[in-house]
Amino acid sequence: MIAVPAGPDNLMPPLTVSQVGHAVADLVFDHLAQMGDSMHTVGDGGFQPELASHWTWASDSLSVAFHLNPQARWHDGVPVRAADVQFSLALYKNPKVGSPVAPLLANVDSISTPDSLTAVAWFHRRTPEEFFDIAYQLWVVPRHVLDTIPPDRLGTSDAARHPIGSGRFRFMDWKPGSRLELIADTGNYRGRARLDRVIWSVAPDGQAAFAQVMSGQADLLLNATTEELRAAANQPSLRRLAWPSLQYGFLGMNLRDPTQHARPNAFLSDLRVRRAISMALDRRAMLQSVFDSMGALGHGPFPAAASTADTTLRVPPFDTAAAAALLDSAGWIRGRDGIRMKAGRRFAVGLLVPSSSETRQRYAVLIQEALRQTGIDASIQGMAFGPYVQRLTTGNFDLVMDGVGIDPNIGAVLQAWGTGGAPPNGLNFLGYSSPRVDALMDSATSSFNPVRARAYTRQAYQQIADDVPAVWLYDALSYGLISRRFQVPAVRPDGWWKHLADWTVPVADRIDRDRIGLGPPKS
Amino acid sequence: MSTERPRGLAGSLGALPQGARVALIVLAVLALGALLAPLLTPYEPYQQLGIVHLKSLPPSWTHPFGTDRYSRDVYTRILFAARVSLSIATLAVLVSSTIGLAYGAVSGFVGGWVDAVMMRLLDALLSVPRVLMLIAVLALWSPVPVWALVLLIGLTGWFEVARIVRGQALGLREREFVVAARALGARRTRIIWRHVIPNVLSPVLVAGALAIGGVVILEAGLSYLGIGVQEPMASWGTMFHDATTQFVGTWWAVIFPGAAIVATVLAFNTVGDALRDRLDPHQLPGRPAPADAPPAPPVSILPQEPVHG
Amino acid sequence: MGRRIAARLGQAIVVVWIVATMAFALIHAAPGDPFAFDAPNVTQAVRQHWRAQFGYDRPVPVQYVLWLRNVATGRLGYSHSLHEPVSQALRDALPRTIELMAVALVFSFGLGVLLALYQVRHRGTRRARWADKTALFFYSLPDFWLALLLLLAFAYWFPILPAGYPVDPVMHAYMGPAAALVDRLRHLVLPALTLVLLTTAVVARFQRSELLEVLPLDFVRTARAKGADDARILHRHVLRNALLPTISLFGLSLPALLGGSVFVEKIYSWQGMGYVTVNAIDQRDYPLVMAGVLVGTAMVVLGNLVADLAYAYADPRLRVD
Repeated sequence: MIAVPAGPDNLMPPLTVSQVGHAVADLVFDHLAQMGDSMHTVGDGGFQPELASHWTWASDSLSVAFHLNPQARWHDGVPVRAADVQFSLALYKNPKVGSPVAPLLANVDSISTPDSLTAVAWFHRRTPEEFFDIAYQLWVVPRHVLDTIPPDRLGTSDAARHPIGSGRFRFMDWKPGSRLELIADTGNYRGRARLDRVIWSVAPDGQAAFAQVMSGQADLLLNATTEELRAAANQPSLRRLAWPSLQYGFLGMNLRDPTQHARPNAFLSDLRVRRAISMALDRRAMLQSVFDSMGALGHGPFPAAASTADTTLRVPPFDTAAAAALLDSAGWIRGRDGIRMKAGRRFAVGLLVPSSSETRQRYAVLIQEALRQTGIDASIQGMAFGPYVQRLTTGNFDLVMDGVGIDPNIGAVLQAWGTGGAPPNGLNFLGYSSPRVDALMDSATSSFNPVRARAYTRQAYQQIADDVPAVWLYDALSYGLISRRFQVPAVRPDGWWKHLADWTVPVADRIDRDRIGLGPPKS
Repeated sequence: MSTERPRGLAGSLGALPQGARVALIVLAVLALGALLAPLLTPYEPYQQLGIVHLKSLPPSWTHPFGTDRYSRDVYTRILFAARVSLSIATLAVLVSSTIGLAYGAVSGFVGGWVDAVMMRLLDALLSVPRVLMLIAVLALWSPVPVWALVLLIGLTGWFEVARIVRGQALGLREREFVVAARALGARRTRIIWRHVIPNVLSPVLVAGALAIGGVVILEAGLSYLGIGVQEPMASWGTMFHDATTQFVGTWWAVIFPGAAIVATVLAFNTVGDALRDRLDPHQLPGRPAPADAPPAPPVSILPQEPVHG
Repeated sequence: MGRRIAARLGQAIVVVWIVATMAFALIHAAPGDPFAFDAPNVTQAVRQHWRAQFGYDRPVPVQYVLWLRNVATGRLGYSHSLHEPVSQALRDALPRTIELMAVALVFSFGLGVLLALYQVRHRGTRRARWADKTALFFYSLPDFWLALLLLLAFAYWFPILPAGYPVDPVMHAYMGPAAALVDRLRHLVLPALTLVLLTTAVVARFQRSELLEVLPLDFVRTARAKGADDARILHRHVLRNALLPTISLFGLSLPALLGGSVFVEKIYSWQGMGYVTVNAIDQRDYPLVMAGVLVGTAMVVLGNLVADLAYAYADPRLRVD
């Protein structure tokens, strides 16, 4: 029983973009192979069998044959066949479906089926992370269920609300906006899930979600705040559950004018100003203020859990005197009200922040005050998520409290900072563009030598850090509160739910909720 | 029929019951606190005193109401927030009273089909769930500047006042001095300005006093949802919004702004009640039976729009 | 009477239409994109595709006409945030709100009238003054604040009641009928209590003024002259007359109750109309917001209509009409 602030968007794997939707798709559906806990993304190292019991590479590495587990069954009893894999890829790549994952599968050309249990994936060109692409990005969906649905109606179809997969949990029930229920698939080829039942319950009010966990109504609260963790410390039935995540938060600085993108930003296009802003913020104090001792400092344009993370990057140090001197030298002189002026213009900027994120809002208030002390007037523009993203993608902001959650591969880390990552293609909303970074990224993603690839990414990171398009604030370490009944194996950064099927509740600790069994509801 | 006129507002203040006098003192203290805020505290409302070590401190001698999670002094913020909350409420009620007064006076005094149309429109407006509408508009356009917030609350709050004024104006139409003025050939606008509006001012003032409390709550609710007053400016509602996620751990950041709201609203309502008892328009002489039966219940007694249900 | 009902009904439909049109204009004029999900890899092309699929790429007047036609034929559209037809979302949410509001209305009007009677009967005594002050106190409480306090008091500090939801999200479906009923009632207590406390105060204050209003009237004096005792006069003559305006208060308090239930529904995760509509606004789920506004306004207008008709029926002066 998991208390979450928002429900899933959609349960159709090619289309889901929400976190809960992702979790459910991951539990109900299977990949061909599963990335190992080491999170290696180059080649097939560390990958574990899932739908495919093993695989064989072609000698030129342009294709790989997946041999499906003959025991694998869809939840309606139909066996999983190579044709399903072929159908799934075609579905993902069908423009009428409009899958957001499709661009990430661009390098996978097609799948052929020499026999019913062998699916051969063909790549356009040989890349270090081609295996990751096909194994990580593609969930295999049942052809016999979906092939009768018009592709452009997939998202609104009944099948998107009652998914049939092959995973260790099967779908039970979804009441949009309130609850979603999965139960163990008893005859699963990978073994019965050890939990009988997983239920997400939606409580958009944080206080209510917390009270539910505290009162034992719910078992797991994701993304608990520091206050909640502290308040729960003397609740004997709960304990903390921590895991690294692939999200990091930063203060982004728009290099272009918010409305006329061809023009540089009147305040932030100046490197001295950006450095000054970075130096005016005491990142460590802010981290401790927001997360207590439970935060992790941001080191650069990547999450610490990424395989390419580099914690030794040089970033501008906290030094308010130097920040003031830099602003003075850039021509921004303090006016009578304490706010700096240059050529009759007040240093007044907007600070865009999504009101749905508690952490980012807190950072925004701290940053606002720190900047005021430095002579910069930042007005917070808190917005609901939809309008926030719209402002972000159209570049209509000065400062932004942004947070990015990425896939674990190298390309994804850099997608947010490359010139090619400008909207609509990526997450580079700041208008940051550096030919040197682009070139280094290209070298990194096409190198088969992990050491060389790492060296290139490191250089790219340092270049980005030197250009200060952002102030790296925190790594979104995720903390949850969980009932002590549960015995939980390691939690993965790319999704806390990855090993959910292996969570257990010892018999002695079970409560009514755990003993319902698998029977259907009475009503 | 007695020719006694309603007692003036000033005359009534002296003779208020004890509860209302206490309430007036509370209001005076609040208003003074808001006005003299910078003199009453060594801190600034936005000042973050020490974001690591001085945040979320419980009440103590140096911080009588504790500090919030940004290490700002809660007592200081309550003082400064009083400025924001009280002026928003007062200005919004001023806006709604003015509109309601004009609308009601015209509708009631002109009468005829104009009155009929205006009343039907008013019925329609009264059917709009006010809070829901405000939430919709504010959430859609968030963040909204404070003046727009005042205007929005004012523009959605005048319906009751219009009804009260119209009822009064209907009655006044037949009163001797108005009839006399009309016989003397005075223009309608002049009669409305010179005779109708001054005579309905008292009930409007009572309704206004009672409405302020409601608006304080309304604004707090909207700010609590994060769509009212925005950081770093604080209203009491914004302070809630800041603090609710840590209600359990730092009760002081929630209890004190809440107490400020309750005290304010209670005081306004007590004073409003007492004024109403003094100036109850139902005790006005010569009050006619409702002209167009039936609906219009004697709304003037409905002390204020029930902002919560 | 029949003509009167028909006229009022026609008026009610016009009101709903006006409000809905206003809401339609508002939501389409507002900034924000219904397909702005937190998905890094959703390209503009894909978003455009989704927009086209829901018809959001057409000019707003065209969308308006289409929407009117669909509503007239009973089609409310598809909610892209809930991923289900809007009619289904309403089928789930509306009964929850009605459940909550019905309980709140019945209890608060009952209790409010009783409290007012008590105050008037004992007018001038200390007890009555205390009752009066209590009513004023609850009347002055912010709704969300009371909801939060009750939630924390009874679900957190003394955890004797559930902290939200209309029913237990896990166990309810697996309970026997008796246990399920108990479960439903336990979940109802806190949100209903919040609304009842606040609305009772409103009703009591209103009813008390009404009673005091009627008390000095001629027929009461007549009854008293005839030798009827105080309690009898209060219950037989005064209350009957003073209840009339309360019928109108019933209609008038609906919009406020609906507004207050937005906060209560949010704090108690009570997935009713207010909750669903506010979420839909944040998600820019146009069809769902429009349906929410439509239903909310219709509820208020209908409530007013019923109150008017009841008033007309109950008031002997108007019954001849």
